[in-house]
Amino acid sequence: MDVFILLLEGIFVSFEPLNLGLLVFGCLIGLFVGAMPGLGSVNGVAILIPITFIIPPTAAIIFLAAVYYGAMYGGAISSVMLGIPGASTAVATVFDGRPLAVKGEAMTALTAAAVGSFVGGTVSVILFTLFAPPLAEVALRFNAPETFALMVMAFATFVGLGGDDVPKTIFSILIGLALSTIGLDLITGKPRLIFFNIPGFLHGINFLVLAIGIYGIGEMLWTLEETKGKVQMSKLSVNMKEVGRAFGALKKTIMAMNIGSFLGFFVGILPAAGATPASLMSYGITKQLSKNSKEFGSGVPAGVVAPECANNSASTGSMLPMLTLGIPGSPTTAILLGGMILWGLTPGPLLFTQEPEFVWGLIGSLYIANFFTLVLNIALIPAFLMVLRIPFAILAPVIFVLCVTGGYAPTQSLHDVWLMLLFGFAGYILRKLDYPVAPAVLSIVLGPLAEKALRQSLILSDGSMGIFFDMAEKPIAAIIMYIAIVLLIMPAFGPLYRKFFKKAQTT
Amino acid sequence: MSIIKKLALVIVSLSLVAVSSVSSAKPFSPKKPIELIIPAGQGGGADEIARLVQGVIEKNDYASKPVIPINKKGGSGGEAMTYVKKKAGDEHTLIITLNNVLTTPVNQPELGIDFFNDFTPLARLITDTFLVWIATEGKNTQGVETFDDFIALAKGNGLVMGGTGSMSEDELLLGMMRGQFGFDAKYVPYDGGGAVAKGLVGGESDFTLNNPSEQMGFYQSGDSKALVMMTPERNPAFPEVPSSYELGYPDLEYYMMRAFMAPAGVDAEVEKYYTGLLHTVYHDDEFQTFNIDDGKLMSWLEGFGLKDFLAIEYAKHGEIIKNFD
Repeated sequence: MDVFILLLEGIFVSFEPLNLGLLVFGCLIGLFVGAMPGLGSVNGVAILIPITFIIPPTAAIIFLAAVYYGAMYGGAISSVMLGIPGASTAVATVFDGRPLAVKGEAMTALTAAAVGSFVGGTVSVILFTLFAPPLAEVALRFNAPETFALMVMAFATFVGLGGDDVPKTIFSILIGLALSTIGLDLITGKPRLIFFNIPGFLHGINFLVLAIGIYGIGEMLWTLEETKGKVQMSKLSVNMKEVGRAFGALKKTIMAMNIGSFLGFFVGILPAAGATPASLMSYGITKQLSKNSKEFGSGVPAGVVAPECANNSASTGSMLPMLTLGIPGSPTTAILLGGMILWGLTPGPLLFTQEPEFVWGLIGSLYIANFFTLVLNIALIPAFLMVLRIPFAILAPVIFVLCVTGGYAPTQSLHDVWLMLLFGFAGYILRKLDYPVAPAVLSIVLGPLAEKALRQSLILSDGSMGIFFDMAEKPIAAIIMYIAIVLLIMPAFGPLYRKFFKKAQTT
Repeated sequence: MSIIKKLALVIVSLSLVAVSSVSSAKPFSPKKPIELIIPAGQGGGADEIARLVQGVIEKNDYASKPVIPINKKGGSGGEAMTYVKKKAGDEHTLIITLNNVLTTPVNQPELGIDFFNDFTPLARLITDTFLVWIATEGKNTQGVETFDDFIALAKGNGLVMGGTGSMSEDELLLGMMRGQFGFDAKYVPYDGGGAVAKGLVGGESDFTLNNPSEQMGFYQSGDSKALVMMTPERNPAFPEVPSSYELGYPDLEYYMMRAFMAPAGVDAEVEKYYTGLLHTVYHDDEFQTFNIDDGKLMSWLEGFGLKDFLAIEYAKHGEIIKNFD
């Protein structure tokens, strides 16, 4: 088969000494960048772009892709160990990764993250290898109405996220949506909701600012109050029994791996979505479909596997539209795309035939990068676990500093640091009042994507909502929309159904 | 403290003042990293050029301190311009321009930006132009071979145009064409030029006004074709595409400028230093080759020439905006 010969050649390309060295180096940088709150793959790749002018394009893309990849793994580390999302792509990893660590099962959480990432990355790169051209065609046909339908589906799964208290969950979603409208009107370009004319609001509310505030600061306040600073993590020994237990726990996460890998890849290849929405959606859908969905959020391995699997899968997927259509599938690929143009390549339908060494070298390197980061992550788990042995009295100020730098780094504005602190207190209070905060975080990510797609669609249809239900003209949008409606109704009918079912049983 | 000590202190401080005034007459060189503000998001055209400039400077050690690009995309450039305005007199801040620096002060008077007094223009390096694009297999543009075919079709039918939105260059251009040719179109905004190009080939829009690099991939693969280029002459990167002058529409001329500005109130020495730095970048082989291959026009301009150019463009954009509403 042609594809396999090309792939083999690609793998050989990535085994060339320069390429292999850069791959390893890139993975390490990525791990670090991903693990540092506020620094994500976007910043890492943007900072390193100028360095790539002195090496050949193939080596450059292998290096930067390794950084991108490593960051997907690295984000999980601080999410689990510190409860601060290391990168936007790892926010959903906090939901269950942190509770696992608090329960003393950090080992399980880290293993689940590493293995989940590996599975997601591998499945997606195989899909990429086999189906790149037809998938590019799918991405090309996936326009505004389809995107909006997908967003509705994502929101539908969130309603089930906050447990049985549906009104509180909807409240949380709406808070997130309201925050996401601050900044710039996406269609007219006019500023809106610029409170007190503070220029910092012009760039909107950065999603990481909210996530770090709620999970970093809010969590720290909560822990301080609960424990009066005397946090004691139990059972931190690393022995073969623990390792076996950690891997054993993965058996129950097969469904999460499937959902994460395929959904992640699919969301990744769609323009402008990327790994962050993919990981959040994967978490939501896995929870919705899981038999023990009630336990999600209290520390289940599947809740770590789902987002970690999806973010790696999506990051591979997002390279597909970048290479074949010249459009970025995620913010990081937007920068990679700029890099490709600067290296003298023209992304587009002809790239696969004109620059086979570049394309297949990249694909080949993804297989190797995946394997390498898995080994590296498993090997480093004992080192990561050391973090938990630090007394909380020392750890708390460190977390605080990391939160502040994390809030400052993406936009370099102090305004965002104040906002982050504000969200931290708000998150703490919401938690005291038993409001779920995860849906707010999810909707601030997807809000702008949904709004833009909705308004684009309505411009196209002259204001008719029919564009989303037109089976003849836009079947993909219509089918997704109907699935979304079913998902939306399910949690409402679930309790009713159970009630009825129980009654039927008892009688 | 004794009188002698006080006296000594005065002498020392006086001599320090003297030394520092001598040193300020020396040529300026940056003392800390140079912030390069980009009034747009990551991955766009301005971002691409800013990072290219950064790369060329770093690779060849043209500057003694690193250049750090910072994206401030909020408010159609409003956030970036407000930031630079506040940095008046700062010797380590530069801003790269999109045409939104010409429109945002007019569209958003509440920001209080005075384009002519809040910035120190340094140099223009590149101008980019626009073309009218249709998809080769566009379902509503079948049979369109020339720009005149297109105008005839567009007049009768409400075509859909994909654009980058937010009073951006292509939306202004649509306004300009509406006045010149008497057709209108339904304008759908997307995230950036790449997404606009994809929307065209994917069949969601009927035509676009992309600049050369945004459509290059689809153009080379034959998925999209250009009908006219909005310049006096043809471009070597698109040899078969006629210029608007050739077709007899000299009013259809439009440029996007890639210029650099410093904040207001910087010393003449600082201005001289950065203009010199940009000049070195401009003549760098790699910089030249990249831009020419990408269909851009190398168009160095500085000093009074640049100030005149900016004044004309500012007035022209004001006119377009006025006709827009």
